[in-house]
Amino acid sequence: MTALLPWLVAAWLLGIGLYGIVTSSNYIHLIGCLNVVQSATYVILLCVGYRWNAGPPIFDPQPPGTPAVDPVVQALVLTDIVIGATVSALLLALAVQLHKRKGTLDPEALRPMR
Amino acid sequence: MTRTARLLLFAVAVLVLAPAGVVVAMNMPAFGSHELPYGDAVNSTIPAARHISNMVSAVNFDVRGLDTLGEEFMLVCAVTGTVVLLRGERGEKLTSHPAQMRGRLNAPRSDALVLTGRLMGPMVLLFGLYVVLHATVTPGGGFQGGVVISSGLLLLYLCEDYQTWRWFMRAGWLDACEGGGALIFVLAGAAPLCFGAHFLQNIMPLGKFRDMLSGGLMQIVNAAVACAVLGGFALVFLEFLEETREPRGDP
Repeated sequence: MTALLPWLVAAWLLGIGLYGIVTSSNYIHLIGCLNVVQSATYVILLCVGYRWNAGPPIFDPQPPGTPAVDPVVQALVLTDIVIGATVSALLLALAVQLHKRKGTLDPEALRPMR
Repeated sequence: MTRTARLLLFAVAVLVLAPAGVVVAMNMPAFGSHELPYGDAVNSTIPAARHISNMVSAVNFDVRGLDTLGEEFMLVCAVTGTVVLLRGERGEKLTSHPAQMRGRLNAPRSDALVLTGRLMGPMVLLFGLYVVLHATVTPGGGFQGGVVISSGLLLLYLCEDYQTWRWFMRAGWLDACEGGGALIFVLAGAAPLCFGAHFLQNIMPLGKFRDMLSGGLMQIVNAAVACAVLGGFALVFLEFLEETREPRGDP
């Protein structure tokens, strides 16, 4: 079970985020849910690169050659978080424009553009 | 589509995908005790090949530097989109001397907030600079340090007047920081081509292991990323705060 837990946590984050997106009635809430979905990928990536009894992939106090976890996935997560934050800002800017033009943030209240 | 219909569709999708997800989870490699071929290759070769001790920075700025260049442009695109969307209606010229929006309370800062902010703000900026500069030695790098520095700028907003904050947050400088960072990254990648090497090939002197200036070309790429992230986040903060103001007659 312990071995399954990381993957189930990621699946749960993905599922609960999608549930929030499906039932959302506010764009700000929806963007928050999208971030939850995105965090599922962080959990997956970091768990894939984990290794028992290994240190960080930074050889500052310890000499090179000490067992270390995978730096590749950590680098992926690092850039992912920064890009994710700016993409959230872009989506929030869209929500600001939406509220200015239509006076609502409810996805249900919007009709397709003509 | 109504809310009920969407929930129903979601339930059907969960019913189909949940068992599949469990099967995938059961068949994943054993957590924490499987092969890590790429990570091990980086961990075993890079300290000797590039004289640096932070493998995450090595992956970001050297091993898969080209991918980071792509991510850098995603960042620039997202920030540009945000700025265009928010500036669109206000007009570009009107942002340099904002006035208080009518009906919005401008609460005076308490002395405790001003004191804490003025003490902590510069400390956070300095810490961000430290994180940027030690990218190749200790945990950190341009991405993290850029975010730390821009949050330090936001802390200065909390303890200063908005007008004062805008006096040192010049949109033009931040634009230049954002775009210039991406440009320096591209130039740093293209420069080795002039010497007959490959794109982003690390042909600069590598320095001493565990030295702040080790890593050769990674130092330039790291500084470029820090510039772009710092400029991008500061611009986003600036434009969102600007949304709460209205433009005043600019000369």
